[in-house]
Amino acid sequence: MIFGAHVGDAAELYAAGALTAEEHAAVEAHIAQCSECLRRVGEAEETVLALERVNAVQSLRPSNVAPFGRRRVPVWWIPVAAAAALIVGLLVPRHGLQTDVATVAMLHSHFAHAQFVGNGPPAKVLYARDRSWYYVIVDGRHSYGVYALRDGASAYLGATQSKGRVSELFSSVATPFDRLELRDGGRLVEAAAIR
Amino acid sequence: MRDGSLEERFSRREATAYEAAFLAFGARMQTTALRILRDPDAARECVQEVFEGLWRRGHSYSPARGALEAFLVTCARNAALTSLRAGRRRRQTEQHLDVDDRYTMEEDPIERERVARALAQLTEGQADVVQLAYYKGMTLSEVATELAIPIGTVKGRLSAALRALRRTLVVGEPA
Ligand SMILES: [Zn+2]
Repeated sequence: MIFGAHVGDAAELYAAGALTAEEHAAVEAHIAQCSECLRRVGEAEETVLALERVNAVQSLRPSNVAPFGRRRVPVWWIPVAAAAALIVGLLVPRHGLQTDVATVAMLHSHFAHAQFVGNGPPAKVLYARDRSWYYVIVDGRHSYGVYALRDGASAYLGATQSKGRVSELFSSVATPFDRLELRDGGRLVEAAAIR
Repeated sequence: MRDGSLEERFSRREATAYEAAFLAFGARMQTTALRILRDPDAARECVQEVFEGLWRRGHSYSPARGALEAFLVTCARNAALTSLRAGRRRRQTEQHLDVDDRYTMEEDPIERERVARALAQLTEGQADVVQLAYYKGMTLSEVATELAIPIGTVKGRLSAALRALRRTLVVGEPA
């Protein structure tokens, strides 16, 4: 055992990044079970935040910002989340404080989107330019089957799941395709061309 | 709009909450990472990796833990330290954090003053440990070697120092 029955002093060491990977994992496991230690860790994290507030946000001067897209960054999650916000018009909640415009713009350069065209509700697909993930989002709560087509062959990718006011399907399974179809009981509802 | 505060939605791992959290706290996280890594590209990547990791592996955040911003900034700081230490191991020659000072951090003078006063309240032994472990990012065993004290003492001092800093900086007891 790395610490006693409770995390104790390790709570502060955890927040300060002073534990070994093994100790860090042990604290994580414990606070998932113990609300008392979770609170102590949370308090230590607030102390870290207070110390970090000294560093002003303006310190990211424009000259320090690299040109967009210079590096390949693992960023698939952002467009996925952004998609939900943009498409359904949820647009970013009122938390919008300082946005790092440069970062957001860079992230956006990594994905593309296409509109579904047909007889169904408004629907879009967002996908990574390297096709490593895709995200289908349909207005309304109805569930549709999503099919990927390539060279005339079609593959079933799954059904959209209703979530709030939309129905969505996300997958990071890389599937090459040039057309996506939404089907309802096997009947084609609408399709999107992927370039 | 879906139900619940950002904290609740984030703890339920809703995609839009990740986006909102990134917009609200991403800059602060990046600033923290930049202070440690001294490289804007690396800092940006660090923050993205934090979010990606939280998304993929899940996380132990819940509103009961406290402010989401505190959780995320701490995650960013820890990720930056991990990457700094990994790089340091690769480079063997470089002992401490003096990597590259081209990127001088600007500081908020008011916060600077608050923190300086809070740090001044620590015992000398605690202040030394905070300087090396917190600000220089040294590991506890490196601090123990540097100060020639047992690692248990380093742990105790760092922990007590953070609790004392919390009382002045967070709870607001007079410094
Ligand atoms: Zn406990």
